[in-house]
Amino acid sequence: MTEPTLDPLIEVTVAGVAAQDFIDAYYPALNNPKGRASIADFYVKPVPGKPIAADIVLNGVPSTDPTEIQKIFDEQVTKAHYEVQTFDCHTINANYNVAANESALALDMDGKKMSIVVIVGGTVKYGEDGDVRAFSDSLVLVPNLEAHGPKAAKGLKKWLVQSQNFRLVL
Amino acid sequence: MLQSAPRAPRGDSPNIRSSRGRGGIQKRRAGGPVRVDRDGDLDMDPATAGEKRRSAKGRMEPSRPAGTGRTNSGPARGGSIATARAKQAIMRGIGRGQANVLESRITTTGNSLQVEGLSSSKAASNPDRGVEALLAFLERKASGMDAKSNRTVKIKKSSLRGDKVIITASPEDIATLQKLDGFTFAGSVLSIKSFGSPSGKTGESVEQKKEPSAAALALKDRFRQVLAARYNPDLKLLNLSSIVADPGLAECFQETTNPTKVFQGLMIVCDGLFKTRAEKKEAIVSVTLANNSLANVGDANILAQTFPDLQNVDLSGNNLADMKSLDAWRYKLRLLENLVLSGNPIEAQLATLKDEFLKRYPNLMLLNNVQVRSPEQLAELKAKAEAAASPLPIAGPDFRDVGQVGENFVRQLLPLYDNDRSSLLTTFYDSNTTFSLSINTSTPRNHQNSKPIPPWADYMKNSRNLVRITHPGTRLNRSFKGVEAIKGLWTSLPATHHPDLSQTDKYIIECHSLPGLPDPSGQSARGVDGLIITIHGEFEEGNTTAADKPMRSFSRTIILGPGIPGFQPIRVISDMLALRAWGPLAQPQPAAMHQTPPQQHVQMAMPEQQKQEAMAMQLMEKTGMTLNYAALCLSETGWDLEKAFAAFTANKDKLPADAFLANVAR
Repeated sequence: MTEPTLDPLIEVTVAGVAAQDFIDAYYPALNNPKGRASIADFYVKPVPGKPIAADIVLNGVPSTDPTEIQKIFDEQVTKAHYEVQTFDCHTINANYNVAANESALALDMDGKKMSIVVIVGGTVKYGEDGDVRAFSDSLVLVPNLEAHGPKAAKGLKKWLVQSQNFRLVL
Repeated sequence: MLQSAPRAPRGDSPNIRSSRGRGGIQKRRAGGPVRVDRDGDLDMDPATAGEKRRSAKGRMEPSRPAGTGRTNSGPARGGSIATARAKQAIMRGIGRGQANVLESRITTTGNSLQVEGLSSSKAASNPDRGVEALLAFLERKASGMDAKSNRTVKIKKSSLRGDKVIITASPEDIATLQKLDGFTFAGSVLSIKSFGSPSGKTGESVEQKKEPSAAALALKDRFRQVLAARYNPDLKLLNLSSIVADPGLAECFQETTNPTKVFQGLMIVCDGLFKTRAEKKEAIVSVTLANNSLANVGDANILAQTFPDLQNVDLSGNNLADMKSLDAWRYKLRLLENLVLSGNPIEAQLATLKDEFLKRYPNLMLLNNVQVRSPEQLAELKAKAEAAASPLPIAGPDFRDVGQVGENFVRQLLPLYDNDRSSLLTTFYDSNTTFSLSINTSTPRNHQNSKPIPPWADYMKNSRNLVRITHPGTRLNRSFKGVEAIKGLWTSLPATHHPDLSQTDKYIIECHSLPGLPDPSGQSARGVDGLIITIHGEFEEGNTTAADKPMRSFSRTIILGPGIPGFQPIRVISDMLALRAWGPLAQPQPAAMHQTPPQQHVQMAMPEQQKQEAMAMQLMEKTGMTLNYAALCLSETGWDLEKAFAAFTANKDKLPADAFLANVAR
């Protein structure tokens, strides 16, 4: 049997746009004290009883609860300025079906069901007088199936963070 | 002497101002009146200023082509030269301001040339003896020397010494100017030689310089004496109160009631005495500016600039009316702890202005001798600021391996990447593996610990930094899929040497499982589980045997999944390498580092403290003294119970009533 495959250019384009959209929304949200209220929305929500949860590691501290991450930024980070200088991304799986219904397992030829690994490099400055540090952030974006289909609510994020490894590297 | 020169109001003397360069002190001639202007320059009398004005016209003569790119401080030069006394040293571009007194500060060695031949040129008959025309000629010719670079050569300073003109410029410009040796200027062949230290100057120029130097040095000495008399080395206090009335300065500043100029003169001398900020901080902690009729601290701005780390400032007895009169120091004196404002109109409002002062000065504790912030509050604020600067605790690596698959892979990855990239590829990579690299050329550096950045040329054309590479076709071309494509790229990349994994301070390696990877056997539609591994580290680049090898820092994210059955046990699905300038990795701050030391301290202190408390209790019971008095008594007798009791017995009649516990029979 031959697996159906995505057109490589579509794959690269969709992955690039997904990564770019994430970066354009996520880091500004961290920078903006008001935006932090929406940080949990960027992550896959844990589903009780199912092995579905985001795996989030900030500076070596793991968590599977996006609201916990939001709380950290809300309460501990008084002021932050993240600036992305570089990013790169690959498709991991063109047909990511971890949370998909039995009826929706087929490959989406527009690349809407890919899982994407993103590596982001940049700078961050915490507080008023903090040093400018360098960070590296490795993320896996997976499709937000709730945003798919005709009945989906508008304004939902198309991609959610399934895995994150953030590190200050300087 | 002491002619009373008509003074334009401060800030309204264009002639004088425009004819001056940067701060410095010069005196026109011995015995004349000496005043400093706004920048601390000793001012010349109006006659000179007038002459300058006239001569400034002369400068417009055609000898100087427009737009040679020189600094616009020309008038200073022209003016000075035009006077009959112009034989004295001329500091081109600095005007007369930066003159003899500060000559020690001006280093001329290395960047100076002496130009001979001006006196025999036709230009020598110009009012300025042709200096202006010569300098314009030199700059024009030198700028044209290297047509390709299109660089403009600038002469920073010049001075006429006898027949020679000494010019100063940047080292590159000097090199170019030197090539003009032998050029003909206005009918005279120029000789351009490097000009050594000032000691090599001719007898004539020494003569010329002696007269103003002596006078100016005398003034500098007077400033020094004033400073010495007003400096208390024990308190590290500089007392500048009632400075205008100082007998040592009265003679010089008899007309002015504004102490600004005096501060400027004094601070210039201070700058000479204390070379670095650290030296200043060490020498002077407190300054009193009391009774100086200051209506605005801006008049003493130079003080805050010269001593930015002052902790105590006394501004009492001035005319400071409101917050506005302190605005000039709004962002200065960040270490200020104690500010005295008594005897100022603002004093009455201090209670309401307290918060504003606290906001302005993060270290302020005493405002007009009232505590506005306790040391504890200050410490708390500092701790908060520190926490804000590092809000996400840095823990050690979070390496959640599955059956040592990740560990075994990493142990093979780095040595194989260094030594045998093709066998790395055949072992772990397959036709669906994607690899790409991206470089970050603008990563921040650690200023205490950095290395030169080797050129990025070997990586640049394959860098997939998607911030910069936005075209989908290019993005596709720079992602390398399959063993052959990756091999082609890796062969073109520089050799690397990663440090051994045992050097744990050089790596942060994390991993955890990742669901939903493509199943190479095609059996599971929902995908299979694998690992995502991130490695932050560094490597040496190239095959050089040099001691100081070029270094880079990297972050590499690899996704590992099960391999095709019967072919490989595991395979790399994605490998992304991000390179940046080398910098030491942020090391984990174990919680212990913050908490353990105080805990240890407490533990160490406890036994001793407990012992002393027990002794004090005993003494209290024995003597009926309060616990405090008992402790006091013990501490005075070296915590010896017997001696303490003896001391108590000898002195108990002298002790006040409150030394004893109530209701205890003595």
